[in-house]
Amino acid sequence: MLELQDVHLRLNGNAGPVDILRGISLSVTSGESLALVGPSGSGKSSLLMVMAGLERATGGRVGALGQDLTQMDEDALARFRRGNMGVVFQSFHLIPTLTALENVAVPLEIAGEADAFGRARVELGRVGLGSRAGHYPSQLSGGEQQRVALARASVSRPKLLLADEPTGNLDTANGAAIMDLLFDLRDAHGATLVMVTHAAELAARCDRVLKLADGLLA
Amino acid sequence: MNWPLAWRLARRELRGGLAGFRVLILCLALGVAAIAAVGLLRSAIQGGLADQGAVLLGGDAQMNFTYRFASDAEKAWMADHAVEVSEIVDFRSLAVAGEDRALTQVKAVDDAWPLVGAVGLEEGNLAQAFAPQGGLPGGVMDKILADRLGLKVGDTFKLGTQTFRLGAVLLKEPDSATAGFGLGPRTLVRTADLAQSGLIVPGTLYEADYRLLLPAGADLDALQAEAEVAFRDKGMVWTDKRNAARGVEKFVDRLGSFLILIGLAGLAVGGVGVASAVRAFMAARVGTIATLKVLGAEGALVLRVYLLQITVICLVGVVLGLALGAGGLQLGAPLLAALMPFPVAFGLYFAPLLQAAYYGMVSGLLFALWPLAQAVRQRVTSLYRGTDERVWPKPAHLAGIAALLALFVGGAVWFSGSASLALGTLGGVFAALVVLAVAGFGVKRLARAAARLGLVNGRPALRWALAAMGGPRSEVQAVVLSLGLGLSVLAVVGQIDANFRAAIARDLPAKAPSFFFIDIQDAQLDPFASLMAGNPAVTQVQTAPMLRGILTQINGRNARDVVGDHWVVTGDRGVTFSDNLPAGTTVTEGEWWPKDYTGPAQISFAATEAEEMNLKLGDQLTVNILGRDVAATLTSFRKVDFSSAGMGFIMVINSAAVAGAPHSSIATVYAAPEAEAEILRQASDTFPNITAIAMKEAIARAAEALSAIATATVLAAGAVLVTGLVVLVGGAAAGVPARMREAAILRVLGASRARVLASFALRSALMGAAAGGVAMGAGALGGWATLRLVMDLPYKFEAWSALSVVLGGMLATLAAGVVFAWGPLSARPAAVLRQAE
Repeated sequence: MLELQDVHLRLNGNAGPVDILRGISLSVTSGESLALVGPSGSGKSSLLMVMAGLERATGGRVGALGQDLTQMDEDALARFRRGNMGVVFQSFHLIPTLTALENVAVPLEIAGEADAFGRARVELGRVGLGSRAGHYPSQLSGGEQQRVALARASVSRPKLLLADEPTGNLDTANGAAIMDLLFDLRDAHGATLVMVTHAAELAARCDRVLKLADGLLA
Repeated sequence: MNWPLAWRLARRELRGGLAGFRVLILCLALGVAAIAAVGLLRSAIQGGLADQGAVLLGGDAQMNFTYRFASDAEKAWMADHAVEVSEIVDFRSLAVAGEDRALTQVKAVDDAWPLVGAVGLEEGNLAQAFAPQGGLPGGVMDKILADRLGLKVGDTFKLGTQTFRLGAVLLKEPDSATAGFGLGPRTLVRTADLAQSGLIVPGTLYEADYRLLLPAGADLDALQAEAEVAFRDKGMVWTDKRNAARGVEKFVDRLGSFLILIGLAGLAVGGVGVASAVRAFMAARVGTIATLKVLGAEGALVLRVYLLQITVICLVGVVLGLALGAGGLQLGAPLLAALMPFPVAFGLYFAPLLQAAYYGMVSGLLFALWPLAQAVRQRVTSLYRGTDERVWPKPAHLAGIAALLALFVGGAVWFSGSASLALGTLGGVFAALVVLAVAGFGVKRLARAAARLGLVNGRPALRWALAAMGGPRSEVQAVVLSLGLGLSVLAVVGQIDANFRAAIARDLPAKAPSFFFIDIQDAQLDPFASLMAGNPAVTQVQTAPMLRGILTQINGRNARDVVGDHWVVTGDRGVTFSDNLPAGTTVTEGEWWPKDYTGPAQISFAATEAEEMNLKLGDQLTVNILGRDVAATLTSFRKVDFSSAGMGFIMVINSAAVAGAPHSSIATVYAAPEAEAEILRQASDTFPNITAIAMKEAIARAAEALSAIATATVLAAGAVLVTGLVVLVGGAAAGVPARMREAAILRVLGASRARVLASFALRSALMGAAAGGVAMGAGALGGWATLRLVMDLPYKFEAWSALSVVLGGMLATLAAGVVFAWGPLSARPAAVLRQAE
């Protein structure tokens, strides 16, 4: 499903270039759930961004579903994500000008699905927000916004679900509910899940846990 | 309390620089610059007119008579009071050179002219130019006229029956600014040389001006009073060097006030930018404000900290605006001085600069105070949470906003000197802003509804664009407000201009005569009519005796005291006399006098003007005709259509009342356009003293004069529009982070850059089209109201003009949108989203 070989990531900061990832190799099999843990600044989120094709590795190879992401241009990567990947962020990243329903429908619209809104409505119902379809993100609580983000990530039945600290901005109760939902969705669709988290108990729910430190797998 | 502490805190924050205030500073600077430039130009013109009053007038004082020379008594008075007197006769005539004919404004002068100033000729002096050669007297012609007739110095031309030799080409006439609107370029001759021309005879339409050089220290007030008591009732009009170019001065003053008020509209539009810049500034300071509050700062202290900062920023904008306005005008001074027909004294005048600075500061603070007062009222928790909590300002702050508004409006009334003009324009601007805000809200709701239509399914770029326009943080209202006002003014001017041109090009030729012939003597009336009747191309000829008269009294009271500045009483008007009801005339009220009526004088008045002046049947009107008062009873009202440019007289008097008054007749001749040249040739060959005025040329000259006003208005609207564009660009720049985030999310979800760009471009274009569409509606309404209600002309929606406004709005927002879309599109999604975490 995912194949990373000697992946490097160097970013240019104000104080000069910084090596974020320093040679990561790993593979994730289909249907597996993987937790990436480690201290702040260890490169977990960056690694997830590289896997999603949102960050371009400065060295090595990133393979997903048999495709080499490092050889694709920006638009090819965007097309690849359609239907193949769903991404969930710590800060939800909903589009503030769209309602909950419209936010969930966006990936289907991009993919040219005829019944984008019908399917989005079902998915929104699945995360328990069927009654809040017409609400804008600013009218929803943090937990609700993350549920919308989950619905948006899963609505196109992606083969790969990537979640970057999905409960990081939520309280314990909401965090637990979101995690239940994430695993339910993953189980329902049979997707592969890679998740960055600080919480040991969440990581423990995954099939495998990898620890990062200073840009390397520990 | 605690202003020093507030200033210390404010100063510390200001150390961060002015980077976040570019839009605010530019908005204020542009508005202030436009107002300062117009004000300085007005002062420069007024200064020039005041310095050069005697030169412009051609003497210390002038006594003017219409269609007559001064009487012996009047001449004796002048001789008693003046050191030197110069007599000038001004009239229209046809200059004929071979087969070419052109209308000219003739100025016949004596040897004393010019008493003050100097004539500019291409070569030689005036005496040489006028000196007879080969038995022909000399004349001087404006270069435009000489070129039009193909004349060179030494060639001959005729005025009436007198042949002249072109003695020189005129470059500068010292007293031209006081001459008013002329239909033809100038020809200068000596009055004595016209003796055999047949042009100046009793009844001819001319003006006689007597320029007086007065002894040093002469009391102008006393002299004016003395002359007016003695001669005003005889039609004498006094002017002196204190108000030499009264018409120009008044026009410049009014136009200046109008343009400054449009400049205020620019500041109002800029105010939208000021308000949003302050809102963005305060949004970026929420953390600091919250912390200050946590540390015990009261709302008042926080308000002062930021009010002081905004005041400093406004000052920077105002000073920049003053420098831009004054500097820009100084750069353009040589060009403007060359364009103006009168002297302009450019300089740094304090009053207009102070005025512009006042407007800038008051408007800046006015628009800043609301978002400022809102921000300091927010609760600490909502500040920390970053919730966009819209609270009402405290009553004290609302009172402050009201006071600033009163200062803004009061200043406009005070500075413009005309409460009705200031309140009317500001009321119009306010109403326009309210209409635009409501329209913006309507467009937002419409976009929201459109985004949910099945029609846009399968077109995600369009749907996202519509959703963004209709959703929270929509920019539609800001765009419609910032661009709408400038575009609306342009649209109104465009509609009026297009309708006007259409009326001239399409409607007028169909009903207007080809020529006005003036100065037809009684003995020439029948031969003239026969000549025209003999030409098959002539379809209609109308003639009427022509007098000029001033309506001086209404029911025994000074007419101006009764009806104010109504145009009928502000100068001499055409008067005709008749026994019979002229053909085609409709009496709307009252009775026409019987045939051969010889009783007390009766007068018939144009119905519309009579209604405007509140005249009633039975009123006693006194009309001064050629120095003689004719008192007549108002016995009927007539329908007069001035829009056809045909023959229309405000006043008709029964024939017996003016029997013996020297007069000439005028004629209107209707003919096919292709026959006009031949008619002109025939008429001027047969009757050299008769002057033909071609309607096409007259309308073209009038249109030229109007187009200058239209251009000035468009330029002022342009300043409003530029301010609107700055607000737009500021808005687009401020929206970059949000778009960046949106673009990143869309790309995470699989949208290509082209699709994201298409959505952003569509959003911009649709918002611009909305602003243009609203302006188009305003333009149609404004155009209709101006033409139908003010000018009484037909109105037709001019689609091309309107479309260009919509297109302009679209292109402006599209350009701003696309330029500011590059950043979001080229940013890497991961970097954007990481920053947002």
